[in-house]
Amino acid sequence: MKYYCQSLVLGAVMSIGLLTSVQAALPIQQLDSYKGAKAYLVQTQSLPMLDIEISIDAGTRYDPASKTGLAIMTAELLDNGIRSAGRNLTEAQIADEIADLGADISVGVTGERALIRIRCLSRPDIRDRAIQLARLILSSPTYDSVIVNREKQRISAGLLEAETKPDFVLDRRFRKAVYGDYPLGNAVTVKSIAGLSASDLKQFHQQFYRSDRVIVSMVGDVNKSEAQEIMQTLVKDLPQTGSSIPPLPELARSPVQNLSEREITIPFDSQQAHIAMGMTAISRNNPDYFPLIVGNYALGGGGFVSRLMNEVREKRGLAYSVFSYFAPGQETGIFQAGLQTKNDQATMALDVMTETISQFIAKGPTQSELDAAKANLINGFPLRIDNNRKLLDNVSSIAWNGLPLNTLDTWTEQVNAVTREQVESAFQKYLAMDRMKIVVLGAKQ
Amino acid sequence: MRYSLQLLFFGFWLISQLAWGASAQSTEDTHEYLLSNGLKLIIKEDHRAPTVAHMVWYRAGSIDEFNGRTGVAHVLEHMMFKGTDKVKPGEFSRLVAAEGGRENAFTSRDYTAFFQQVEKSKLSKVMQLEADRMVNLNFDDADFAKEIQVVMEERRLRTEDNPDSLLNESLMATAFMSSPYRHPIIGWMNDLVNMKASDARQWYQNWYAPNNATVIVTGDIDPDKTYQLVEKYYGGIRAHELPVRKPQLEPEQKGVKQVHVKAPADSAQLVMAWKVPRLQPDNINNDEPYALELLAAVLDGYDNARLNRTLVKQARLADNVDAQYDMISRGPALFIVGVDLAKGKTIAQAEAGIRKVLAEVTDKGVLDSELKRIQTRLLANQVYKRDSIFGQAMEIGGFEMAGFSWKDLDTVQDRMQQITSAQVQAVAKKYLIDSTLTIAILDPQARQSAKVGVQK
Repeated sequence: MKYYCQSLVLGAVMSIGLLTSVQAALPIQQLDSYKGAKAYLVQTQSLPMLDIEISIDAGTRYDPASKTGLAIMTAELLDNGIRSAGRNLTEAQIADEIADLGADISVGVTGERALIRIRCLSRPDIRDRAIQLARLILSSPTYDSVIVNREKQRISAGLLEAETKPDFVLDRRFRKAVYGDYPLGNAVTVKSIAGLSASDLKQFHQQFYRSDRVIVSMVGDVNKSEAQEIMQTLVKDLPQTGSSIPPLPELARSPVQNLSEREITIPFDSQQAHIAMGMTAISRNNPDYFPLIVGNYALGGGGFVSRLMNEVREKRGLAYSVFSYFAPGQETGIFQAGLQTKNDQATMALDVMTETISQFIAKGPTQSELDAAKANLINGFPLRIDNNRKLLDNVSSIAWNGLPLNTLDTWTEQVNAVTREQVESAFQKYLAMDRMKIVVLGAKQ
Repeated sequence: MRYSLQLLFFGFWLISQLAWGASAQSTEDTHEYLLSNGLKLIIKEDHRAPTVAHMVWYRAGSIDEFNGRTGVAHVLEHMMFKGTDKVKPGEFSRLVAAEGGRENAFTSRDYTAFFQQVEKSKLSKVMQLEADRMVNLNFDDADFAKEIQVVMEERRLRTEDNPDSLLNESLMATAFMSSPYRHPIIGWMNDLVNMKASDARQWYQNWYAPNNATVIVTGDIDPDKTYQLVEKYYGGIRAHELPVRKPQLEPEQKGVKQVHVKAPADSAQLVMAWKVPRLQPDNINNDEPYALELLAAVLDGYDNARLNRTLVKQARLADNVDAQYDMISRGPALFIVGVDLAKGKTIAQAEAGIRKVLAEVTDKGVLDSELKRIQTRLLANQVYKRDSIFGQAMEIGGFEMAGFSWKDLDTVQDRMQQITSAQVQAVAKKYLIDSTLTIAILDPQARQSAKVGVQK
């Protein structure tokens, strides 16, 4: 569960973070497709290591309404036992082998995709063993019912614990408000977890973990032919196709509503009130992507220098953290802003936040705010690609969102081309105060 | 006693260096300099990408605080963004942002550090800003009044509404009677409420000086040019006498201590913490701290490590486990084992479960295969950590602040590879004993949310 939440945040950061370069970024090489799977490589030779991210089109958006949590459990139990024609391994043997190799293999799930991340030394003997193990984890999980039941207990315990935490309760209610009946609006609950069985997991795996739903991104010390072989090894035991998958519903634009319909208050006896505000917005390939992310830097994405931070924290001392972001993906993602403040200041903080966002949508950034945002994004571009991990995030995001392979090379140009009018008109086109859902959690004073 | 000797030595060394002027020591990619004002500079070249991390570390953290003014090190960290004679409040962040920089700061028990990450040609700009606020910080009382509210919100967010933090805070305050490690880094709320701008200013005047600072620059840099920049911007700042640090040694513990914390939560938690030795800068060949690090990893260093395997997967006593030990610190070290209890299990059962896992180590030792696994992991991490210039600067800073040298990093790695199963067994037997044990228990309470609704 923790990893799930982190992945979402990471997604937001990554999407802001797609960049490119004043000096040429290392080229992204596209490998030959194999069994419908795609793969991309950035070759970096300075360190004897390899980072891989496997994206599978098997995120929580595919959870059936009655089985919320299925995508997460299917992914998280991938490495809890393997049974294949060649090798059977218990969860303990898998964990010991990963550790013996000095490798990291981790699994995460976002709304759109399941993710397997592998980090290992590039020495061929170590690398090959890690890849073989990852192949089995991806394609041949056991989903033993004893382990499934144990993990259901753990996930339920984690959920009950999370329900005592203000940020979790707020986030769950906010997502429901924004996503409505779209699958991502459904929350994982103790009850929905209780209803999952080992055969549900097996079936979900069979249906969604197919080579034609996989993208492999690699960064590190391997050449193109080695990378091609690695990708083929990883997916070779997956079926290429399977039973048809019903299309996802369209995520509708958040409707215009009266404040009383849009605002939800949740009594909660924390010392701080937690506030979330937002609505559905854009997908990553939207032509207004650049005006929106440059504008959002000025509004609430630019850390200490954003307008929200200035109004809420610097001028009034109302909160430690206040932010806004767009989280676009393959599909329409959300815009969200948020803060936390002591309960007796909640109304004031919400007023300041509302006024600040409203002003920004109405009038856009000032020219100096826009210039500052562009200066930061352009001058800071090299920091977004200065190690293998960051490069991998970028390559994987470009691949997942189907963006041009030269996205990193044109990124600063695209930022630089954004005008004040474009920001203003894009914010007005996609955001509107009378469509914003507002959730306020805390003790009323 | 050892601690005070170390400080005396430090003082003498400083004076002798001041008399000699700048000096330099280098390895292939790492270079150390001492400016005549006492500022230490460490440069680590890494030419993988055209970026740099620039950090200044002050050897002043919550360990240097006194009761009634706890949290002041962290509050001053916040105030460092409030302007100097030349740079208006908030301007520091704006100028760094304009250069495309990322910046922030952090306070620990042992130190306070500030950093910027920038494209390499911007290094001079951010260094100029950082050097300026080492000596020219100038904030008014109104700025302080607003910022202390922000810090109180930070405490509400991170601690008051967070049962894990509340439990940890009580654990530290119970384990330590006298050591300043008993205070939370962010400070007690009552001390924040009563803090004055003058407390923060005094802290600044006491500890923010070149002779209490280490500048670390990692990344795509030329060492000579970088040294010249540092000399230009920091070199003219005058050293001043630092306050005397009294040892504040923790008295010997004479038996088990226990604390119960009631807080909104669903699962009970049990934490067991033993006082254990840390690595001493003047005794870096002492194997015990290394053996304790490996013991923590054998217990919780990978998914099938002993605590997870036994308590979570087999016995179902716990839903999560944790073992921690950090041998590098200025103050006393704890070896900590914690668990979130599984539903229907009692604290007594969980404690018995932890003790059983530990008894297996003390009775039978650990397997060579387990130890080898951990040591392999450590070797691989040596490669992985070079992926981040920020991480490399962090590692150097943590070592230096605890009184070690970056040159000790290799020694530490080498020693870790030499530790035997018998040594791990020996430290478990010697140090995980009841007379130095503190037990902290989280007693979960239901949220009174419904009642809040009614009150409204």
